[in-house]
Amino acid sequence: MRLTRLKRAGFAALVPAIVPVIVSVFALGLALPVLAQDAGGGLVSRGEYLARAGDCAACHTARDGKPMAGGYVFSMPMGKIVSSNITPSKRFGIGNWTEEQFARAVRKGVRPDGSHLYPAMPYPSYARITDADMKALYAYFRQVKPVDAAPSVKTSLKFPFNLPGMMMGWDLIFANSGPFKDDPKLDAQQNRGKYLVQGLAHCSTCHTPRNAFMATDNGKYLAGANVDGWEAPNLTSDKVSGLGGWSDAEIESYLKNGHAKGKAQAGGPMADAITHSLHYLSDQDIAAITAYLRTVPPIRTEGQSKPSWAVGKAQPVDWTKIEPGMVAADKPGYRATDNTDGAQLYNTACAACHGINGQGSDDGHYPTLTNNSAVGAPKPNNVVMAIVDGIHRKGADGMAVMPAFSASNQVIHDTLSDAQIASVANYVTATFGNGSAKLTAADIPQIEAGGAAPWLIRNAATLFWVGVAVAVIVILLIIAAVVMSRRRKSAAV
Amino acid sequence: MAQDFDADVIVVGSGAVGSNAAYELARQGKSVILLEAGPSVPRWKILMNFRNSGRHYDHNDPYPNNPWAPTSYQPGYLQNTGSFEMMPGMLKLVGGTTWHWGGATWRYIPNDFKLNSLYGKGRDWPIGYDDLEPYYTRAEYQLGISGGDGEDQSGTHKGQAYPRRSKPYPINAEKFTYNAQKMHDALGTQDYAMCTEPTVRIHKPWDGRPACEGNNNCDQVCPIGTLYNGSIHADKAVRAGARLITEAVVTRIEVGDGKKVRSVSYMTPEGKETKLTAKVFVLAAHSFETAKLMMMNEVGNSSDMVGRNLMDHIGIGMDLMAGEDAMWSGRGPVQQLTIMNWRDGDFRKEHSANKTALANGNPQISLAEAAINEGLMGKELDARIMRDSARYQFVYSFLEMLPSPANRIQPNPAWKDSLGNPGIKIHFDVDDYVKAGAVVAREMYQDMAKRMGGTIAKIHGFENHDHLMGTLIMGADAKDSVVNHEGRSWDHDNLFVASVGVIPAAGVVNPTLTAVALAIRSADVIAKEV
Repeated sequence: MRLTRLKRAGFAALVPAIVPVIVSVFALGLALPVLAQDAGGGLVSRGEYLARAGDCAACHTARDGKPMAGGYVFSMPMGKIVSSNITPSKRFGIGNWTEEQFARAVRKGVRPDGSHLYPAMPYPSYARITDADMKALYAYFRQVKPVDAAPSVKTSLKFPFNLPGMMMGWDLIFANSGPFKDDPKLDAQQNRGKYLVQGLAHCSTCHTPRNAFMATDNGKYLAGANVDGWEAPNLTSDKVSGLGGWSDAEIESYLKNGHAKGKAQAGGPMADAITHSLHYLSDQDIAAITAYLRTVPPIRTEGQSKPSWAVGKAQPVDWTKIEPGMVAADKPGYRATDNTDGAQLYNTACAACHGINGQGSDDGHYPTLTNNSAVGAPKPNNVVMAIVDGIHRKGADGMAVMPAFSASNQVIHDTLSDAQIASVANYVTATFGNGSAKLTAADIPQIEAGGAAPWLIRNAATLFWVGVAVAVIVILLIIAAVVMSRRRKSAAV
Repeated sequence: MAQDFDADVIVVGSGAVGSNAAYELARQGKSVILLEAGPSVPRWKILMNFRNSGRHYDHNDPYPNNPWAPTSYQPGYLQNTGSFEMMPGMLKLVGGTTWHWGGATWRYIPNDFKLNSLYGKGRDWPIGYDDLEPYYTRAEYQLGISGGDGEDQSGTHKGQAYPRRSKPYPINAEKFTYNAQKMHDALGTQDYAMCTEPTVRIHKPWDGRPACEGNNNCDQVCPIGTLYNGSIHADKAVRAGARLITEAVVTRIEVGDGKKVRSVSYMTPEGKETKLTAKVFVLAAHSFETAKLMMMNEVGNSSDMVGRNLMDHIGIGMDLMAGEDAMWSGRGPVQQLTIMNWRDGDFRKEHSANKTALANGNPQISLAEAAINEGLMGKELDARIMRDSARYQFVYSFLEMLPSPANRIQPNPAWKDSLGNPGIKIHFDVDDYVKAGAVVAREMYQDMAKRMGGTIAKIHGFENHDHLMGTLIMGADAKDSVVNHEGRSWDHDNLFVASVGVIPAAGVVNPTLTAVALAIRSADVIAKEV
């Protein structure tokens, strides 16, 4: 379902889109191979746990493909990147790699043959992995069931991104951190959390905004960013914009189950992270992540004065005001589908679960729309994206599904046009949130596309030739200067 | 691909059966056109119609009744000439009649395929259970079915998982509701063979469908998209490349050289006619409509069996008032607990088998109506509604019919729709085999009421259940059947029929899953030939 949308949307945002955590495995119920006899004193099972924490399978497994056999396609503004086969196949996978070579690829993004990976692989984060954990990961990947086949699709990048050595400079500047070392200002639990957040769980790749070079902007560490249309929220300790107003239990419930009552629920890329990675983490690790997030310096989102989750109070809606009036069953009005009345659409497409007053279900399985971060957020992205893509999540306490309503996901039974999605989102934000988002039909595909790629990326091909021209001019000027100065020197002699 | 054709395959009808055939073919890379007589209407619109219609007991009311493609609820469209008033629910829109159904999705048991050889009644299938088993499994995974692995569904294999299945149900069975558990305990497993109704009303999410939240509205419209309907596969077919044309009423079938079907023509609501050619045609337009279309065009009917052998699961039911304890009907799934004491056995030589089940609808409106008719008012009325609706339990049975050529449908030129196409004439009588089976079912009702410590308030006489089998009957002999075991017309080798209408032995279980399994099987055959 999401694959179709991702392909169509074309991943307008480069790096947010290339982060493994945000990309789902699609093949629901993807099971990691059964572990072989764990001879290494638990090394393999620890490696499996770490591979889940790092969500390796999400990107290295194609839809309906064999686990870790690669073939997942990232469609991006600079071309297609295809994840590789990381099973121990000697010919097609990493069967011949030594532990050192494995570690170099994971941490530095460099293959044994010296070629560079693209940061679709989050090696800037994985660089933080300790030697002991790297050993466990290696042991685990050695015994994954080998798949003797290359992915059917090949990476193909547009000029100039396909030039050899293109990533070397980027890596030098942006991928230069080393293995994690304890921060003396933090206690043991907070350090464990920091290690997970910055390393395997690579939270920063989605939750920290990107600069013009599409590297994380560390001045805005975990302050929130747009990921494939969704707003990855601010995770700093700020009381208004971040997690400062959440209790430990709420953060832990969110990470483990994918939802926290009266606060938020995970959708889109975060739902995938919960499904394929976070819900497998131990309670201790979840608590450690929570403890560390408490220490992240607060960053207030500009203009925000009230937490997203604190917005909205259930107001009784008078249903007699939303009655569309009766039409005979054999008249066109009975099959007309062009209604754009947000209140009527909400009450027929949404209210059966979320309630006429946005009160959700009694047991909380269907969330309230009041006191809901998606609805009360400064931007309507997550409301729109939930309607467009639906919600598909498996947490420790069960599965949650909201149907997808956009024509990009299905065209018949639940379909809403962009204009209808806009009017539902306007009604929801007006009735349960901060006031109408005032969206129009044209805004919906733009939100889905996640905004435009950075100027630098969009104009890279032109810039490359401008750069060559500039370089040629500079070289000519230098030659001219040298010649002039020689002449002057010789003249002076 | 299809250079001289508009498509490799044209499928007529976008209900659960036609859409599954279309999807399988499109998925296997064939060019497919899917034609639907009705419009495409999204769920929110149907829900809007449902809420605006005050007639919530009329399950068809939320759906468009198109002048160019009428349903059984269009006065005059169906006319009965027999002793039984056959008036099945039918919908015409993308997704078909499964937009409103209980969602029961059973397999037949092996003996159902050999009814005549084992019991000397009715007909055998031209294939056996083992031939269909892999397709049952595929259909179950396409439709996302919740069912009880390890249960005996035959009533004759106590303690055993039966019939054999090559894969478990996609979703496990849901825990019994309060009333189902209560009845289960009262009846006791010693004398009653009970199992869970397999259903597409699912209690866990599947394939983008949410888990049921208990609206108890399956019979009208599922407001949240839990309950499977054919539009899910119409949608999948479109995504796999099929071209869906809605509001396209197929009226003409043209046969060319070598008795191959050359084209079908459809009419728009305005009466504009369009001809489409293909290598293979699949008729999946409802068992009445497909038969009508074939008879209008004199296609595939050398056996004179098209439209004949109409079988439904004619059934009876009882209003049971439980003893002092409440049943609380109307909470959770509309159907669940099933009694299979009379599904199979030597008695089938003498009388009809039955499937008996607890129905879990909300009874308040009809109970209130009855009390008002009795003259109750005010506090007395309130007290009666409260007492009765807590204790009321509906139990119903399907009875197994035998195919009789005299039970039939025909085009009725005396009635015309807005395009001038004929209505449908039905002749249907309930035979003695069924009547004898009903006696047995009623005896069981007495015993059930006794064990429940309750009383029978009413026994309902014969009712139809919209399982319209036999009109396109499948067989081993071209002389007495319409299609062969592949669903292929005996007369035209590029014409297939996908419908519950092909089922030659009705058994006692809801037939949709079987028709979908047969459609997938036909699609596999077709995919090898185009």
